[in-house]
Amino acid sequence: MKRVAVSAAVLALLGALVLMTEPIVPGVQKLAAFIPPTIGSYVSEAGQTFDAESIFDYIDGAGEVYRSYNMKLLVSRRFHKDGKPDLVVDLFDMGSPEDAFGVFTHDLDGEDARVGQGSNYKAGLLSFWKDRYFGSVYAEEETAETKGLVFELGRRIDGAIPGLGERPGLLRFLPPDGLDAGRVRFFHNQFVLNYHFFVADTNILLLDQKTDAVLADYGSKDDRSKVLLAAYEDGGSAAKAGASFARAYMPEAAEKGIVKAENGKWTAVRVYDRYVVIVFDMIAERAATDRLDAVVALMKGRADRLKEK
Amino acid sequence: MSRKPITRRDFLKAASVAPFAGALIPVAARTGRASLPGRAEEKVRVVLVRDPSPLGPGGAPPAEVVQRMLDDAVRALLGEGDAIKAWKTLVRAEDVVGIKTNAWRYIPTTPEVEQAIKKRVMDAGVSEDRIAIDDRGVLRNPVFQNATALVNARPMRSHHWSGVGSLIKNYIMFVPRPSDYHGDTCADLATLWDLPAVKGKTRLNVLVMFTPLFHGVGPHHYAKEYTWEYKGLIVSRDPVAADATGLRIIQAKRRAFFGDDRPFQMTPHHIQLADTRHHLGVSDPHRIELVKLGFEEGILI
Repeated sequence: MKRVAVSAAVLALLGALVLMTEPIVPGVQKLAAFIPPTIGSYVSEAGQTFDAESIFDYIDGAGEVYRSYNMKLLVSRRFHKDGKPDLVVDLFDMGSPEDAFGVFTHDLDGEDARVGQGSNYKAGLLSFWKDRYFGSVYAEEETAETKGLVFELGRRIDGAIPGLGERPGLLRFLPPDGLDAGRVRFFHNQFVLNYHFFVADTNILLLDQKTDAVLADYGSKDDRSKVLLAAYEDGGSAAKAGASFARAYMPEAAEKGIVKAENGKWTAVRVYDRYVVIVFDMIAERAATDRLDAVVALMKGRADRLKEK
Repeated sequence: MSRKPITRRDFLKAASVAPFAGALIPVAARTGRASLPGRAEEKVRVVLVRDPSPLGPGGAPPAEVVQRMLDDAVRALLGEGDAIKAWKTLVRAEDVVGIKTNAWRYIPTTPEVEQAIKKRVMDAGVSEDRIAIDDRGVLRNPVFQNATALVNARPMRSHHWSGVGSLIKNYIMFVPRPSDYHGDTCADLATLWDLPAVKGKTRLNVLVMFTPLFHGVGPHHYAKEYTWEYKGLIVSRDPVAADATGLRIIQAKRRAFFGDDRPFQMTPHHIQLADTRHHLGVSDPHRIELVKLGFEEGILI
């Protein structure tokens, strides 16, 4: 057992040397350096590096999620101890704090783990984000020991990342009243939107990698409504997207921009500046327009402040 | 459980499938598999076989049990009393046979299933040097490059992008860039079955249901907590029918575990579209004759 551990340590060292001596982008070295070589009596194997093209070799079609958030690099490292379940660290450089936050919000289930700038833990898996990095630490079998080590690894990586990142600015336009702050998602494209909340099978909101969007839950489980904000390059693009949505989603009320859906709840859309704002599943027509007003008021307030500067 | 009204979101979801749903389906028109039905009233046969034997550390029953399960399933599928005779109707001695497996780290096809298939292919008269078992290397594998017959074997699991990993999807390694098929959450995976390396060659599909994954988390979309010991194999000549049957079991498990009709976050619509849009096989349970063998406890279907 000792020999295996020593071999693994040598492997890890060799892997680190390879990472340091290969003519690779500095980003890989930097990313790899955030991950400790050992944790407890576990030692790590050589790290593997993937980019947005090669990620499919590692995690199959799930790589589309990270590509949807413009991932730059992934360093993956497996920790081993003889006779114990392996631990796996996947540390992503997402290129920006907004996308690190966004990919973290892709899966919000679990308990708050107090790691990085946001984290959760569920079924042996710790996920967190900090600065432009998204990390995942996974125990192949959850035991009291592996759970402790997963948290320790997460905290060590958190401690090694020096900076902090800003959350996406769009979040400031979400009215705080009734907002479920733990159910806010940031994304770019319609595939991720549909993953969280199916709107339509075609891209009626004209979302793409250049658009920023936020989907937020409001109310309690029994009275759940949603706000969707999408930011486009300019007002013309937003107007086009708003009209496209209204035509497809509420053809009977496209001009009015508000409709009572088949479930008896209200959906409303409004275009303001370069933004499209939509509320779903509001209990009353007035509540729908009030929430749109509240979002737009926050946008106007920010616009006013920008003008003052 | 309360019945929710159909909303415009449901309508928009169904729209991609519905235009073809009512049409008479010329099944297997592209696969060249004559045993599949050509008229709506005909049914395709799918065999579900289960065995209560304990699973080994690799997640499979003992090899001899797997062999017996496979033999029972193939005999029932083809209505043949002898397993080797049944296999001889699937492959010929002069065939070059690729056994397309799945090497996913957490839930692979398992060596027990691979070897059980290989044994019967050899029993049917194919020499060992004309048989290969492969997943990610199929494009470089000379046996697969020259294959005249394929046996498709993989486990079913929930999948982050396609809803479920399916038999239909298992042929994605026959293209150099799998991501080319990821559009609309893998809606058109059935077109893989038109590739020259694949078209018309599949003799049998084996969907491994020993420890299916019904929900996933994290980059690897895996947590042992979301697997269970189902101890089954689903066998059919029709990959769509086998997948549709496996999907029903996974959905039933999700209902039992979560306590509600929780939808897959990525809809596994590629299975239904393989039927309604691409006519690869049958997804409608009413057109599937499901033969159940073995123990029934916890069968979920």
